[in-house]
Amino acid sequence: MLSVEHLTKVYPNGTVALKDVSFQVEDGEFLAVIGLSGSGKSTLLRCINRLIEPTSGKVIWNGTDVTALPSSEMRQVRRQIGMVFQQFNLVKRSSVLTNVLSGRLGYVSPYQSMFNYFSPADHQRAMENLEQLGLGDKAHVRADSLSGGQQQRVGIARALMQEPKLVLADEPVASLDPVLAHSILKHLEWMNKELKITVLCSLHFLDLVHRYATRAIALKDGQLVFQGLPNEIDDAQFKAIYGQEAERVSII
Amino acid sequence: MESSFTFPGRKSNTPLASILSLIVPGAGQFYLGKRGRGVLILLAALMQGYLIPWALDNFKIAQVTIGGVQTSWLWLLFALFWGWNVYDAYRYAQGKPGADWLGLLVPVLVIYIIAWQVTDVRLDRLVTRFGNALKIGNDLIHPDLVTKNDSGAWVLSDNFYYIFGNIVGKPAPEWLVRLGLVKAGAQLPTFEAGKIIETIALGLISTVFSTIFAIPFSFLAARNIMSRVPGGTVIYYVTRTFLNIVRAIDTLIWGLIIVVWVGLGPFAGVLALTIHSIAALGKLFSEEVEHIDLGPIEAITATGANLLQTIRYAVIPQIVPPFLAYTLLRWDINMRSATIVGFVAGGGIGFFVVETIRKSGYTQYAAALWAVAIIIMIVDYVSAKWRERILVGTTQVTTEPPRPFYKSLRAWFYIVIGAAAFVYFWQLCEIDLKALLDPGPNLGQLVRGFASLNLSSEVTSAVIREMIATIFQALLATTLGALVAIPFSFLAARNLTGRSRLSIWIYYLTRGVFNFLRSIEALLYIAIFFYWVGFGNFPGMLALAVTTFGLIGKLFSEAIENIDEGPLEAITATGATRLQAIVYGILPQIVPPFVSYSIYQWDINVRMATIMGFAGGGGIGNLLYNVYLPFGSYRSFGTGVVAIVIVVAVMDFASAKLRERMV
Repeated sequence: MLSVEHLTKVYPNGTVALKDVSFQVEDGEFLAVIGLSGSGKSTLLRCINRLIEPTSGKVIWNGTDVTALPSSEMRQVRRQIGMVFQQFNLVKRSSVLTNVLSGRLGYVSPYQSMFNYFSPADHQRAMENLEQLGLGDKAHVRADSLSGGQQQRVGIARALMQEPKLVLADEPVASLDPVLAHSILKHLEWMNKELKITVLCSLHFLDLVHRYATRAIALKDGQLVFQGLPNEIDDAQFKAIYGQEAERVSII
Repeated sequence: MESSFTFPGRKSNTPLASILSLIVPGAGQFYLGKRGRGVLILLAALMQGYLIPWALDNFKIAQVTIGGVQTSWLWLLFALFWGWNVYDAYRYAQGKPGADWLGLLVPVLVIYIIAWQVTDVRLDRLVTRFGNALKIGNDLIHPDLVTKNDSGAWVLSDNFYYIFGNIVGKPAPEWLVRLGLVKAGAQLPTFEAGKIIETIALGLISTVFSTIFAIPFSFLAARNIMSRVPGGTVIYYVTRTFLNIVRAIDTLIWGLIIVVWVGLGPFAGVLALTIHSIAALGKLFSEEVEHIDLGPIEAITATGANLLQTIRYAVIPQIVPPFLAYTLLRWDINMRSATIVGFVAGGGIGFFVVETIRKSGYTQYAAALWAVAIIIMIVDYVSAKWRERILVGTTQVTTEPPRPFYKSLRAWFYIVIGAAAFVYFWQLCEIDLKALLDPGPNLGQLVRGFASLNLSSEVTSAVIREMIATIFQALLATTLGALVAIPFSFLAARNLTGRSRLSIWIYYLTRGVFNFLRSIEALLYIAIFFYWVGFGNFPGMLALAVTTFGLIGKLFSEAIENIDEGPLEAITATGATRLQAIVYGILPQIVPPFVSYSIYQWDINVRMATIMGFAGGGGIGNLLYNVYLPFGSYRSFGTGVVAIVIVVAVMDFASAKLRERMV
């Protein structure tokens, strides 16, 4: 179980990205995080695995306060938390296989990994994950020769290598052609339903939230303005989250 | 300069703006809000106000005597500029655009008139001494590579063996004797490397050394890394400044300094090449480090990897290919410098060229030029091909995992060959690290010279005079080289040449001439021109112009090849002739890159011109090499080097800013 308590983040330039945000995520949930660009969604996700240090507040993951952990123990926590990025964040010049294997770095011996050595079991696991995502034949090509949708699936395979209990997905479909959004989200849904991985996913489109999320929270200017079931977001709620000017749009 | 059709007029201030500009050039424009224009006008006026009396005092340029007073008629042009500036302020205040062309023309005219005479351009000599040109031209196409032996057959000449190498009998090395493989004192056939092989060794060894040393510098000079380290910003600025200063001093000037330290020889050449290219590579590498993508770092950190693993998997794969590509580029540049470093430091073909010139052995000199051209053209081609392969990479779909390199026979073959070549070249370069700890007797004096520069008016005015002459030499060489290159660059552009057999031959021929001429350093050409027109700035300028022609011709023709075909197609479709299509479809697209490349080339040529004096080509190099150093005037030498650093750094900055505005 993940519990976020009174989380606040103030950047050095004075921007208040998160203001006293508290919520809980039960194991097995698919929680959507919605809000405008700049509302603090990315900062929130990165404060959970401390890619960004929160200014105050607590993040409690299965009973441990991760905000208080020293860096070596933080790495132990991070390897249980997979992350998928808007810009995929693959190493473009490395092969697809190396990118996927790098998801295993938290488990392997640091010395062996310096020479790009991964155990046969890790190799097998990487190939299985790629097969699962339909990329079995792409293992040995350079990552930048893949299309955007394929690169994002490599990103998911990398997260799967961590055998995560929780996956943080930061706008995983925002850089993709809308028709590919369902393909990526179905993979996340499969991880959530079949592998029992908790998913925290920030999304732009409300109909994607309706389709995939079991629960939703909304941020506006760094503050939590809604939490509940996706179909509880009515027109009034919608205007409160996105502003008076906003119109509902949908994709396919 | 900016030009548009509407200006926010301040009509009420018309007289004020004009009066301001009458008192201080550019002040009116500045007042009207055209600050950049105002500053440019003021700078142009200051420059002319300095250069005109300077040219009169030092070179008696444009001298006229009016009522017993000697003055310069260039003041008339200056007055015209001043008047234009007042008129320009008036026009702006009226809300109308001024006449830009006049404001540009006058300073340009003043500069070129002075540059022409400072560089001592003597067109008459090109004609009256044309016989010399024919003589040396004849020698150049008859290089001393083959000769007739006693029985009348053609054989390779001694000079050929001296340049490329020869197999001679030499006493066997001691370790073979100890192993009992040969008898003591036995003669073994040994390859004695020629001067061109030694040049290759200098270029390779210095590239390896400079790459290794540039890597740590590149991290210290990368802003994104140093800003995260306590006190890093200070280290960043110190490293950057240090690299910029070292880079501003040409390899051959480093050669002068190094020779005082370790003495003449190939080792001095390697050190000079290495020091300059550490700084050049350090800058390029650090820019690459600054441009790395932070996304993968974030992603790898999120998997729970530690710092070392993050660097290994997110940083190294991003920087190794560009580092390798830059190393290959530097190898190309170092090979070129290695052909001339011997002029001052010893080692390589440059040393041999100096000897041939001294003995007036022009057919031997010609053989050296041909050898250099062939080697450098090969290096240029190989370096470009490999860089392309590294940066583009293979994107072919493979289902097989690549074989690890340690299982590939070919990889081991290359490793063994590479290691053997490195050891052999190391010996050829006479690397003697102990010599670094045992400096020559004058090094202390030289270092003290830099610490207490000679700033007496005699030395500073000489340094300034030669520095301005150097800049002008580079300016004229760039202008001449670029102007001649323009028509040829059209012949060497693949997209413009027709499909007929003749035009394809012309294309290859022009490209070949560009590649040939640019593969030989300007310093190597000077001998041709001082034989033709005599010593001084003029032959230096001509030699620089020849290299410029080759370099800029290639750049121009590539710029033409990169144009957008759309407009050309549209204009051809209207029924225009080929010439009309070029004038309306292509010219508007190529003028900005041509101007930008010319400015860039001028910047490069100023650096090159600082060393032209090492081979009789005048300028600041002549002052350093033939006046200050031989007489042990180390304090004056230091002043000259500092002047070079300042001028090169300013040129570098100004040319980058100007080119930014062009694009």
